This record gives sequence, C-alpha cells and structure tokens, in this order.
Amino acid sequence: MRTEIITKMAPLAAKRIGPARVGIGGPVGSGKTALIEALVPRLIKQGYDIAVVTNDIATREDAERLQRSGLIAPERVVGVETGACPHTVIREDPTLNLEAVDLLDRRFPKLDLVIVESGGDNLASTFSLDLVDYWLFVIDIAGGGDIPRKRGPGVLQCDLLVVNKTDLAPHVRVNMDEVRRDVALARGKKPALFTNCLTGDGIDEVIAELRRSVLLDA
Amino acid sequence: MSTDALKLLAALQHGDSFFPSGGVAFSLGLEALRDDGRVNDAAGVERMIAAQITDRWASCDRAFIAAAYGAPDLDRVIALDHRLDAMTLPRELREGSRRNGGALLRVHAELGTPRATDYRAMVRSDAAPGHLPIVQGLVLSGVGLGRDEALGIAAHTFTVGLLAAALRLGLIGHVKAQAALHRLHAVIEAALNTPLPAPEEAHTFTPLTEIAVMRHETLSGRLFAN
Repeated sequence: MRTEIITKMAPLAAKRIGPARVGIGGPVGSGKTALIEALVPRLIKQGYDIAVVTNDIATREDAERLQRSGLIAPERVVGVETGACPHTVIREDPTLNLEAVDLLDRRFPKLDLVIVESGGDNLASTFSLDLVDYWLFVIDIAGGGDIPRKRGPGVLQCDLLVVNKTDLAPHVRVNMDEVRRDVALARGKKPALFTNCLTGDGIDEVIAELRRSVLLDA
Repeated sequence: MSTDALKLLAALQHGDSFFPSGGVAFSLGLEALRDDGRVNDAAGVERMIAAQITDRWASCDRAFIAAAYGAPDLDRVIALDHRLDAMTLPRELREGSRRNGGALLRVHAELGTPRATDYRAMVRSDAAPGHLPIVQGLVLSGVGLGRDEALGIAAHTFTVGLLAAALRLGLIGHVKAQAALHRLHAVIEAALNTPLPAPEEAHTFTPLTEIAVMRHETLSGRLFAN
C-alpha cells in the first residue's frame, strides 16, 4: 500500500521515504482527538499501518486517551511536550515532533501514515511544511458560526478544513446555510468537509480525501 | 560584506532561539522548582540560572562542548558522549539532553553541516546517546565558528532557554527577563574566564534542582519535558 518512490538522482536504489505525515490542528475542544478516534479504526480496517504523535499542553491526557482507547496499540502513540508553545512545536521548531515521527518509523518499519495532533491552537496556527505533507484544521460549530468568516490562517491555509459538531447548530443558534456559504467563500477551491465525529457522519469523506491527496491510492 | 560581519551573523544565527533545536520543551527543573515553591519570582529565577551557569554549565557542559569541538574523530566524540551520559543522573535531564541534542543534530544533518549526518546515523543506531553539549561542540565546529564563539553561543542559548521557560511559567515578565539576562552576562563572562575543565574533571553541584527534576517525573500537570 505504501507508495515507494525511486528518485531520479538514484534510480538503482529504491529509496524508502517514510510514512506520510498528516497534521491535525485546530482550536481546543474542536474535536481533533475525536476526529483521530474516528479515523484510526476505519483506516486500520482498510489495511493502513498507522501511528500517532500528540502534543498535549499540560498533561499527557490526549496521548493517554488514545493509548487507553483500544483503537490503536498504545506503543503506536507518542506524546511530545510543548513547553507551553503549541504553535512553536508545529511551526517554527517542529524538531521534537519530527524526532517522534522518526522513532515511530524505526519502531514500526511498515508505517503508511503518522498523524501529528497539535496541542490546541487559535485560528492563527499553521503547520511547518517541513513537518507534515498535508494538514487538516478542525473547527467546530459550537465555537461560533463566525469562525469561517474570520478567515484565520488555519482556516485559509490548511489542505483540508473540517467543520465538526454540525449536529449542534440548532442548539447554539448557528445557521448552517450561512456557515456553508462562509466556508465556501473562505476556502475557494480548497476542500472543506462537515463532520460529526461522535456519530461518524462525514468521516468516510475525510478518509476519501486523505486517500486521494496523501496516501495516493484512491 | 566583511569576514567579521559574516562571523557575527553566523554567531547570531546559531545563538538565536529561531534556530530549531527542540529547546522550547525543556525547563531543566524550573517547572518543578516553581511548583514546589522554591522559585517564586524574578529574583529567584535569576539566582537559579546563575547557579546553573556556574555549577552545571561552566563546570560540566562547557568541558564537553569544548572537547567535542576539538575531537579528532567521531570515536572520541562517542566516548565523550557516553561519559556525559553516565554523569547525568536525573532521568529527565539525561533524556532531555539527548532529545534536545538529537533535534539539533537533525537540523544540522538536514542543512549539511559537516559530520552531522555521520554522527546522527550513530545516534539513531544507538551507538551514541547524542547529548546536547556534545552535539553543540560538533556542529558549531562544523559550521566554522571559533571555539570561544561556540562556548559563548552555548552559554547564551542555555541562559535564554531558562529565562524563556521562566517567562512561560509566569515567573518573570519580558522586561525583567531582559534585565536579568544583561546581569547574567557578567556571570557567563566570569564562568568563561575560569580554566576550562577536562571532561575527566567535569562536575556539577545543583542538588536542589536535580531533586526537582526527579520529582518532575511524577507531576500531574506539566508544560515541560523536564
């Protein structure tokens, strides 16, 4: 399933380029961990070899939540401390995250995909293009219907925008038609998908997008 | 541009916290000292850092940076690395130094700094621990900086790393941090003017901080890796 690449510089030596690295960022509470919990079992079922790096802020809660979830072997989840700089470790200085990806790659040599979950951001956070091949930004309806309209760098620059908790719209007085319009305006030709990570609504579409754009087998 | 200006710019590049090294994740015991009530304010931060410069950095890290800088071959570098590993008793200090060194080495390998790729292969194969002072000596030599510049850069990044951690822990403000850094320059200068210890003579004496680092392992809420 892994895409092997033979570089033009060394045509005789098939060079393994390592697993695809996918970043998942977004504000605290938007559903990054819930999205991972929805993606991981489905991707494993489809035959992908997966590991996860989490960037917790003050605890190892997200790492331990995944390790205890039963969805993925605990040793396939590594937590990286952020020193109170969750943006820095995914953007200006992502070296510890890259070292964690390397550790997982050495531990599990057949990895197809490593997910790097950010520690919870504001709308300005983005991933270093040297850290990930592709990144998602997760926002949620309960955080306010005006987030797409605010056009933060996360919403604008990510490869895939995920708008989560769509089921909560009527409870927080958010008009989904307006949100869909604002998302379309903010994203232009870039993709955006709508999910409810708890029920699984929209998750298959996220996986289809990952397979098409990152795993290159769809 | 003059050679002097290029040297200055190179020193600024490698002494800048903009240079990626993973250092942002480490407080070297300051977080636990704060939680224990041992360091509560800007004055306490400055005292802690001064002690770290004098009784850890100058008497131990500096010896290994200088020795790695001048090592004739990578076998000698590996031997120095293992000696420093054996000397670093608290687990989080030992693992933090290895992670910080590994991250810095990674960037230099990617930048093509001489010997960085070869040494990284040894660290990745567990032939060497990859401690930060060892990597600093190796790569700052590799990028063409003089030994005194390398030691000055390492002292500066050590001090600024601790001050930045203190700022993020809420112990000091941005102005007091700069004032403290200015005063700590005198501590660094005095440290740099003491005779350079050989690695075999290297030593540390920061028991309160080392105990704090050991206690940090079991803290429930923690921003830093040590």
